[in-house]
Amino acid sequence: MQRKKIDLTPYLLISPALIIFLAVVFLPAINAILMSFQSYDLRRPSRIGFIGLDNYIAIFNDSLFWQSLWKTFLWVTFGVGFQFILGFVLALLLHKKFFGRGFVRSVSLIPWVTPGVLIGLMWRWIYDGNYGVLNDILLKFGIIQEKIPFLAQQATAFPSVILTIIWQGIPFFALMILAGLQGIPTELYDAADVDGANGFQKLVRITIPMLKNTIYVSTLLRIIWVANSVDVIFNMTGGGPAYSTQTLSVYVFNKGNALNLGYASTMSIILTLILLVVAILYFRNIFSSEEE
Amino acid sequence: MKKVLVFFFVVTMFVIISAIGSTQSNPVTITHWYWADNPKYSATMQEMAADFNATNGKNITVVAEEYPWDGGAYSETLFRVVMGGGGPDTSTFKLTSTPLFTANNLLANLDSFIEDWEDKDEIEESLYETMRQASGTDGIYLMPWNTQVLYVYYRPSMFKEVGVSVPKTYNEFLESCKKLTRDTNGDGLIDVYGFGMRGAKGGQEPWGSFIWARGGNFTDFTSAGAVAGMQDFIDLYKNGYVPPTATMDGFQEIIANFKSGKTAMTVHHIGSSPGMVETFGDDVDAFPFPGDVGQWTSMGDTENVMLESCENKDAAFEWLSYLATGKGQETWCRVTGNVPVSKTVQQLPVFQNSKFMKVSIEAAPVAGIFPILDTTTEWISTIWPNTVAAALMGKITAAEAMQELQKGLWEE
Repeated sequence: MQRKKIDLTPYLLISPALIIFLAVVFLPAINAILMSFQSYDLRRPSRIGFIGLDNYIAIFNDSLFWQSLWKTFLWVTFGVGFQFILGFVLALLLHKKFFGRGFVRSVSLIPWVTPGVLIGLMWRWIYDGNYGVLNDILLKFGIIQEKIPFLAQQATAFPSVILTIIWQGIPFFALMILAGLQGIPTELYDAADVDGANGFQKLVRITIPMLKNTIYVSTLLRIIWVANSVDVIFNMTGGGPAYSTQTLSVYVFNKGNALNLGYASTMSIILTLILLVVAILYFRNIFSSEEE
Repeated sequence: MKKVLVFFFVVTMFVIISAIGSTQSNPVTITHWYWADNPKYSATMQEMAADFNATNGKNITVVAEEYPWDGGAYSETLFRVVMGGGGPDTSTFKLTSTPLFTANNLLANLDSFIEDWEDKDEIEESLYETMRQASGTDGIYLMPWNTQVLYVYYRPSMFKEVGVSVPKTYNEFLESCKKLTRDTNGDGLIDVYGFGMRGAKGGQEPWGSFIWARGGNFTDFTSAGAVAGMQDFIDLYKNGYVPPTATMDGFQEIIANFKSGKTAMTVHHIGSSPGMVETFGDDVDAFPFPGDVGQWTSMGDTENVMLESCENKDAAFEWLSYLATGKGQETWCRVTGNVPVSKTVQQLPVFQNSKFMKVSIEAAPVAGIFPILDTTTEWISTIWPNTVAAALMGKITAAEAMQELQKGLWEE
């Protein structure tokens, strides 16, 4: 009996990526899980050791954790929601033929290609309550009578950072949806025209169904990215004032910065599990609709 | 015979050349990390490193690398890098970070270096004692460099305009904050605020003066005096005597607000004085933060440390001593206006004739530091700014805020 020969080529080809993945993602993730069961506070190295579920119990009793989780929900819902709506509109506009379309398409990408740290600093100064350009514009147009300390009061700080993340993410959706729009056969629209469909009907009956998978994937990616995003908030407010802009990721970052790595790891694991549930529900929805 | 002579000649020459070579030290590179408050200070540190490199005569090259202070995040960055196995040989440092670094054995003990150091007596023994206390051991891990005492900057012209004199008491200070807040152009809006409050990271230092003025202290934030001081702080914000951005104002903001004329008073140390004089000329002066039941101001400190991982400790100490008592001490303190730790440098006319130096010296007897605990860094960077912001915005009361602060610093 001749022994079946195993082709090693696929394994060899995939091995570099696999090794890198294991080294920079898998091992740190395992380490984070292990840390979540330890008192791992570098300020108190003598106390480092296994503590079972104490970190998890402490977190579930931590009111700041629940507040940050709620902020994360709002951050993702409004941030990604408006990014999608405005990105969709932008994509439809950029899909139309007009003079200078290439230039406008390029310029519209600027928020997306700008580093998050720079965006945070830039918007921090735009919103500044003493010297910010936004206050100047609003004053000159008579919309406000005195300067608003946008980032220094609870009522406006969180909406302000959400507006910034919306601004940053619009081009991503526009880009993804634009690519999807270009893949829709024009014959479908021609047929709809023959049938007498109006613009809204074509949007609802052709465009959106044809873009469904693009929308699903890009929204899921963006939910994960925005939920994990730290740079914009951290550079704008650091999570303040009075924790009013502190999402779970920023809380994790602040705890990590304070060197309480056990506590920070535990919150990271919880955030990962939450996002995993969202992703599973999402994918299940995609596959079930495909089966239909 | 000729071959033997040639052989001995070659051997002799080799020995002579080797001997000459051995008098020249092997080249050593020391990497030094530091922060600087402005570009002028950055350039000064680079010039000092260049001067040391040119004059040390021991083939030591210092490479000075700048990192942002970022309201204290510098210390955390340094810690993470050193824990990760990297980082510099020496670094500028703050006392408050000492327990974190010594608990993880990251700092080199300087006892033997200081014992053998010819300039040892140039620095007051009390400063060495402070370094020992900060480490929580009997050893010295920090090399004193300079100190800064916080005081109140004010604009004499504004005081004159509203007819107030320099406050001698805490109540006069609070009253001045009120009187100096005004609408200067009659448009119904406040243009000048009495006091530039720092509500972001680092704001705990001027805030401490309010707590002590009413008889509080840092051991028990929940005492009646401490809560009363906190209430004064809140009232300044609620009554509109400080900019409405105060909850998020850090170092850059309070200095910018003072320099732009938006605030009439603000609290910082002598390090800001060159910039203030550059902006206002004679129209800027200073006074110690006044007390009532008690009086306190923050003694800012800046030291230098040698990391335990440094491989050339003798060379690193040469650089640290240049900064502490050598030309580096004079240059840095002259440019930044900081109070020198070297007795000889303190006596130089440039320091003796400065009005800001005089106020620093006047305030020095009541100057102190926050408790140095393993909770201090997180308390400063996260707990204090967010808790105080919540109190300023009326989300929690002064008493509730002080309970939170007590818990964050002492009970965690």
